[in-house]
Amino acid sequence: MTKLVLNRRNTLQLLGGSAGALALPYIIRPLPSWAQSNVLNVTTYDKFLPQEFLDKFQKDSGIKVNVRLTDDQGKQYNLLAAEGANPSTDMVTVAGHRYSQFISSNLLQALDTGKIPNWKNLNPAYQNAPWAQVDGKLWGLPILAGYEGLAVNTNYVKDPQSWDVMFDPQFKGLTSYIVSDFMTITMQYLGFDGDFVSYTDKPEEALKATNAARDHLIKHKDMVRKYYDAGSEVQQMFINEDIYLGHAWSGPAAKLIADGHPIKLSVPKEGTYGFCYTLNVVNNAPNAENAYKLLDAILATPEVGASMQRQSGFASTISGVPEALTDIERAAGTLPQEQVERIVFFSPVNRDMKNEMIDKATAEVKAA
Amino acid sequence: MRTMLADAPRTALTMAYWGFVLYLFLPLTLMMAMSFKNAAFIAFPIGDWTFDWYLKVMQDKPFLEACAYSVLVAGLTTLAATVIGVWIAMLIATTEGRWGAVLFALACLPAVVPGMISAISLRIFISTIDMPTGTSAIVLGHTVHAVPFVVVMALTRLRSMPANLVDAARDLGADSVVAFFRVTLPYLGPAIGGGMIFCILLSIDDFVRTFFLGGYRPTLPMLIFAKVQGGMSPEINAMATLVLLVTGAVGLYAEYYTRRSRSR
Amino acid sequence: MASNSTLARGGAMPAVTAPAYSTRLSALFNSGLYQSTLGALVSNKTTRMVLLAAVPIVWIVMMHIGPIYQMLKISLLSNYPIQHGRAPTFTFANYAIFFSEPLYFMPLIRSFVYATSATAVTLLVVYPVAYYVAKIVQPDRRSKALLLLLVPFWAGELIRTFSIIMLLANRGALNVFLRDIGMIDRPIPLLYTPFSLGFGLVYLISLYMLLPLYSAIDKIPKHLLDAAADLGAGPFTRFRRIVLPLSRDGIVSGCSLVFLTSIGVFATPMLLGGPTTVLFPETISGFFHGASDKWPVGAAFAMIMLVSALTTAAIFMRIVGGKSTRLM
Repeated sequence: MTKLVLNRRNTLQLLGGSAGALALPYIIRPLPSWAQSNVLNVTTYDKFLPQEFLDKFQKDSGIKVNVRLTDDQGKQYNLLAAEGANPSTDMVTVAGHRYSQFISSNLLQALDTGKIPNWKNLNPAYQNAPWAQVDGKLWGLPILAGYEGLAVNTNYVKDPQSWDVMFDPQFKGLTSYIVSDFMTITMQYLGFDGDFVSYTDKPEEALKATNAARDHLIKHKDMVRKYYDAGSEVQQMFINEDIYLGHAWSGPAAKLIADGHPIKLSVPKEGTYGFCYTLNVVNNAPNAENAYKLLDAILATPEVGASMQRQSGFASTISGVPEALTDIERAAGTLPQEQVERIVFFSPVNRDMKNEMIDKATAEVKAA
Repeated sequence: MRTMLADAPRTALTMAYWGFVLYLFLPLTLMMAMSFKNAAFIAFPIGDWTFDWYLKVMQDKPFLEACAYSVLVAGLTTLAATVIGVWIAMLIATTEGRWGAVLFALACLPAVVPGMISAISLRIFISTIDMPTGTSAIVLGHTVHAVPFVVVMALTRLRSMPANLVDAARDLGADSVVAFFRVTLPYLGPAIGGGMIFCILLSIDDFVRTFFLGGYRPTLPMLIFAKVQGGMSPEINAMATLVLLVTGAVGLYAEYYTRRSRSR
Repeated sequence: MASNSTLARGGAMPAVTAPAYSTRLSALFNSGLYQSTLGALVSNKTTRMVLLAAVPIVWIVMMHIGPIYQMLKISLLSNYPIQHGRAPTFTFANYAIFFSEPLYFMPLIRSFVYATSATAVTLLVVYPVAYYVAKIVQPDRRSKALLLLLVPFWAGELIRTFSIIMLLANRGALNVFLRDIGMIDRPIPLLYTPFSLGFGLVYLISLYMLLPLYSAIDKIPKHLLDAAADLGAGPFTRFRRIVLPLSRDGIVSGCSLVFLTSIGVFATPMLLGGPTTVLFPETISGFFHGASDKWPVGAAFAMIMLVSALTTAAIFMRIVGGKSTRLM
């Protein structure tokens, strides 16, 4: 027994010793200060900013870029909200439809496109998009766009035209979705306004529509194998054939297609919603000037956008990117024109009502 | 002397042990096998085998740095949490009645708080005491989380400690501190060892607190968690397999080293 | 060293041998510096108690209560994080939500059911294993036997969860194997069910049971068991009369650790659950991850969970727990 005690003690000595040795460079290195002149702190998703691009940017500009990886919107919001007036990050990666939450808590600063000489290289469709504007201002640089698609395993499901297929009894227990996202789609599928734009000042009508969608989902709960949260979950469920079809963001689904899995992604005839990730400068950011330099560098060449698209599966917003991709990469992210026209971007209008009602209904569906 | 009947429980226990080992290792073996798959996602069957993921991972500087940083954070956390945890356990064990129970409940508090909430409240808390984010904040956060586990482990053994041991030492003239280091601490040995293992595991598994309290130098779980969001690639399996092999080897070496130094 | 080993063989204190640092300690304790400083301090009962209590109390107040107090404050506000134009007011409404909606009640009950059953199952599965390592394995092989059980836990929660997915999925190892030997032609849905959630919970937390149990069983003197056997007690009687009562502390702390962790902290097992297994931590995190700002409600729910979980653990310990002894 004593052996074991000593054993652990020694293991620890060993661990401690090697930790000390390995950590020496870190300890000697001066602690980073958030306000150092040649530093830029970015919070973003893994693979959104390609490493080669960051290496080149750091070499060219002399700015040291620190990247903090996140995996969801809520975490970034919670972090900024907890940090208050002294943020430890200069940039965050916010999806357009989450803007109002960040802006109403005073966490972002409006984007000054005058400080971005390469702004013209942004695909014109994104330069002044209505979804990107809150209070008449732009708040971030759009980098990657995606949509809420219907993904099916083509070995088992033939070319669906409608969201109907998600409620088809022959696929009982073989579907999956993110409840809050699919709730808006279901509202639209049932003929309501899933994005609440037309419900401003009409809470009764909005509640009726939300409850209709909620009841529909509860009634068809037996269709569902799992309510998921992250793209990696739905990818794994498709690969393992735990589900044959499901709602999926275009990014994760496109990556499955690019890897050769028998998956097809489409926009059913009832339509769906699109969203866009943007890079935002944080309110009170200590290194805002450096942040603008990074934004400008991203827009400099289409190769950066192509690399972002390749790694994330989402579509780049930078002009000239499709030409820089290989055929299969392009095909993975491409929809027929008629389907593209069915995508409506989530609006920044009336978010408080929408978020409140959808979150509540989501909890009810899960608990049912 | 023992009969067949007496051997039956022994056989059953042996089978229970090896059954449990199988239960622990079977899923992990699959995970390790997947690290040799030549595709962007893990899946059965493996089909095309490759060793490339390992070559990639072993040259992956962020991964190696994250490992080193995790080891550093885990080491400091273990040190701090063990000292504080044992100290708290000593206090609880000597406190009679209701106050002891209250202290115990308070000591266990951080073990029950969901990670996200604990992370947010710690982040607000360190800014109210003007502490900067970074390594020290991360270690503090991990220590808060790990202390209850050390307390529970230490307390378990303290409660069953024969009372006469310390009395005897005191009778022989040892003062309290001497009695503690000479009698109580050695008696606590296995419990502290277990508590330390919990500390290390809790620290290297934590990504929420780490994200909120530091974050520009990723720890291993942060790196892996962010990578998983981009898809479950065999690369991640290769990383985990390497971590397992290295910790297994370190454990075996430590075991061998202790045995040798004891027999000397 | 020698006298201590004799003591160890005598059995009263099986785990104690003079630690390696013993000689250096003696030198320290006999030095004049020590005698005149710390030594003088602890010779007085009051200063001794202050010394013992100071650090733990400061730590608990600062680091355990401090952050929770922040959460308590937030849970009593009408809105937080503060937004412009909406000053927060003091309110109990966030707690009322829990009691007014059965919607949130169910996940809490479910969490308790899962945590309790996971604790019971883990205890039943792990006890024989801990006993085997502590009492049956030859002493010189013991650390190897324990090491074998520890190694899998170093892979990390997330990786271990994904390896369970690889085992139980429709195209996972188990289903592929059953199909290959011809027992089934359609995969059995094992994943995303109450079964897979339980399987995963036990898989992820069994260590929190194993180590306390091991540490408790290990200190049961072997000569007690031998004596009982010589007096004709069968294995079952020995277990019931000696092993079980003497390992009670280990059972209590193992169960508390497993119960508390499985009820509150673990987010990863959620990856293994299905649409009918939504647990309370998931409900709480919904308030923090969702797009609407509901920190106060989430905080209030977390407080409710905290209080109910700790109360349950306390009652459990009260029923099964032990007494205190002199330690210094």
